[in-house]
Amino acid sequence: MEFKIRAYRFNPEIDEKPYYKEYTVEDYPGMTVLNALIKVKSEIDGTLSFRRSCRSAICGSCAMKINGISKLACKTQVGPEIEKFGIINVEPLANMPVIRDLIVDQESFFDKIKEIKPYLLGQREDDARDNFHALKEGEKISQPVYYKYEFQNLTGNNDTPNCILCECCYSECGGVVGNPKYLGPAALAKLYRYCEDPRDNDKNGSRLVNGSKPDGMWDCVHCQSCEEFCPKGISPVKSIVKLHERTIKNSITFSAGAKHVVSIAKSIGETGRLDEIKVAFDSGGISGLINDLPMAFGAGLKGKIPPLRLKLIKDMDDIRLAYKELDLEEK
Amino acid sequence: MLKHDVVIVGAGLAGLRAAVELRKQGIDAIIVSKVYPTRSHSGAAQGGVNAAFDENDSWESHFFDTVKGSDYLGDQDAIEILTSEAPANILDLQKMGVVFNRNDKGGIAQRPFGGQSFPRSCYYADAVGHMMLHGLFDNVLKYKTKILYEYFVTSLVTDNGKVSGVVAYDIKNGKFEGIAAKAVLFATGGYGQVYSSNTNALINTGDGMAVSIKAGVPLMDMEFVQFHPTTLKSTGILVTEGARGEGAYLLNSLGVRFMSKYAPKAMELAPRDVVARAEQTEINEGRGVDGAILLDVRHLGKERIMERLPQIMQLSIDFEGVNPIYEPIPIRPGAHYSMGGIKTDYNGRTAIEGYYSAGESACVSVHGANRLGGNSLLDTVVFGRRAGIDIAEYLKTADERKFDESIVKRDEEAFEKLKKSSGKERHGLLKSELQEEMRADVGVFREENAMKKALEKIIELKERAKNIGIDDKSKTFNTDIVEAFEFNNILLIAEVITRGAILRKESRGAHYRTDFPERDDEKWLKHTLATLDGKENIKFDFSEVAITKFKPQPRTY
Repeated sequence: MEFKIRAYRFNPEIDEKPYYKEYTVEDYPGMTVLNALIKVKSEIDGTLSFRRSCRSAICGSCAMKINGISKLACKTQVGPEIEKFGIINVEPLANMPVIRDLIVDQESFFDKIKEIKPYLLGQREDDARDNFHALKEGEKISQPVYYKYEFQNLTGNNDTPNCILCECCYSECGGVVGNPKYLGPAALAKLYRYCEDPRDNDKNGSRLVNGSKPDGMWDCVHCQSCEEFCPKGISPVKSIVKLHERTIKNSITFSAGAKHVVSIAKSIGETGRLDEIKVAFDSGGISGLINDLPMAFGAGLKGKIPPLRLKLIKDMDDIRLAYKELDLEEK
Repeated sequence: MLKHDVVIVGAGLAGLRAAVELRKQGIDAIIVSKVYPTRSHSGAAQGGVNAAFDENDSWESHFFDTVKGSDYLGDQDAIEILTSEAPANILDLQKMGVVFNRNDKGGIAQRPFGGQSFPRSCYYADAVGHMMLHGLFDNVLKYKTKILYEYFVTSLVTDNGKVSGVVAYDIKNGKFEGIAAKAVLFATGGYGQVYSSNTNALINTGDGMAVSIKAGVPLMDMEFVQFHPTTLKSTGILVTEGARGEGAYLLNSLGVRFMSKYAPKAMELAPRDVVARAEQTEINEGRGVDGAILLDVRHLGKERIMERLPQIMQLSIDFEGVNPIYEPIPIRPGAHYSMGGIKTDYNGRTAIEGYYSAGESACVSVHGANRLGGNSLLDTVVFGRRAGIDIAEYLKTADERKFDESIVKRDEEAFEKLKKSSGKERHGLLKSELQEEMRADVGVFREENAMKKALEKIIELKERAKNIGIDDKSKTFNTDIVEAFEFNNILLIAEVITRGAILRKESRGAHYRTDFPERDDEKWLKHTLATLDGKENIKFDFSEVAITKFKPQPRTY
């Protein structure tokens, strides 16, 4: 059966603006979008440009938007796409500038990976010795002991070390849309991966401090897109939430985001209600409050004015109990 | 022109491992790769990396297994290094942040692998290559290593018999760049794309080997191509040997575990050459299932499959439409690994001073005529590390040399000429013709007349390749022209493989001749060395195999 591929085309040397070009390809059972693109390139139009390497969903090269969704072309079957959309629409990933056709400039993405210091900081003492040597006849080597449970969050099928840096999450990330400087889900998931590593010895929490700076973990908008679109079934947003927890637990609360969370928890812990004015003040200080004024006036005009003094809610005891259970009291 | 002390070409495991070693010492080493490092094909390795850790295991046993697996063509001095340094290398990786699955005692978990007399393959589920690649890449970032990615290396430059740098094509903007260096390491991987039905990435086109032989460096034992016994029937995508390590069965159309006939003791865990031949025999004799064999993991149970073989499960579902929890996976042998490569010693040195190679692109040789599963990842880190250390030593006394910039111009002109060509041939289609021919006639089973037919085809394709037309005339990310160059590389490598295979009149390891079915130690216990003469003709020489501990014996499993 024949089907059509509609490809986003742009060559900065020739084209003033992007356009779409359609190709007709013969389908076969099991054909993937990457197979189809390779067929177009080798048989019809050698100028169609895209990245590809392993063709088995492990290298992360061929991520692109397929019928509007960021996916790996090698893993996406033509059949179901045609059934649903009647056509294969291919476009470059979002949130990164296009170099040509389906190829984006990944520099900003990888710069952010570098920024989170993606490696062990320091070493556990019993594992720090440099004992490298070739074994002599009859000699055995002893290895440091790490139990299964120590790696339990790093060895599951959907744990963050399985990330292939394909950029699907980054392309779909609502946080990056709002703030192009935001580290994004893949970098933060990697940050979490190293925090979670039992061998890591980041004594002063420098990694978490780094990740708490503006454009860091608190810029996540919790849209869940990273989880929804990850081709490897990983949930970066879950890692980000765990980073938030760790940061608060380690009292790294200099960032507006952390202050916001602490203030909300405090407000509810004290009164059972959200003291929005106080939360705004705690998170952003005076300047934050001033910045929020126009929004507050707008809300006021619509009759949405937070009460200046909050009364305790009736079930305050239940909330205290819940806080105790959650071990949130002293925080 | 750029200038660095060391240029590392290729950013898979061997290249990254060498880079870490050099950068740790603060040496000015730069990585040049035609893809971003994490796209390298090392990441697709699934099942394991071998090292003797268990108290009932020994590195000496690993040593012997590897020699026997190589069908006695491996150099025993190098294999001794590989196996005796293996445990320390794995612990080194662990210290660098690589995660391995754990056993109940708190050590690294290990699974059985083909041709190994003890379960000694360390793993991270079925994605250990991915784990190692990303772990080493993270360390390369730690040591702030400069990386030129999406640069395609076209030539090695020498000055008076010493290496002086490389020429690279910047794919992003179409510019040629000379990179001067006192030492160059090629860790450029294999050539799986010579064959149709292969497990390799589309980038594995033997570029480093082709550049080397053109620069006068011999390629060793190129006729030895590993066919992996379990690759998905429709796509050739790898299904790890770890599946059989976990206990999977191979079944023919009669539902029989046919390996009992070919390797009664080792069964499914015989070495890859033995299993691949057994499968192909079953298929050829009419006991296949639609041209395939069945890999059955159902008896392992859902839980174990999900825990130990999650990637395999997903790949089977996504690419073969089969859920291995409920159905056996149709598989067949596919081209997988190059035992041969750029001839090096066990420090990575080649025939040109200052020029090194490590990993699949190199031939030390630790794999001889057949590589054991789990030994290639080991090879990359052991010899990547050693090459890094040796280069650091070499730099202490290496003198200045001239970089001949006319080579940059020469390569640029060759590219421009090819780009302007409006011939009728399409390199993508020529590539398919070559791959199909190589699969059919220089594959698992080989025979003189068939191989001569393949050689004729190669010569025909070389002629037609002069008529390749390039659609893409632009400078920005011109993958059309890069692919044309890659095609020329695999064409050259295919010729070396075929001529070497015709020359070697015996059967050894992965090289099986139906017209010479026996191993012939008297005449052929030697390495073949391929070089080009002045007229681009391939000629062969031989060198001795290092035999230190283990005298050749009949090889049965």
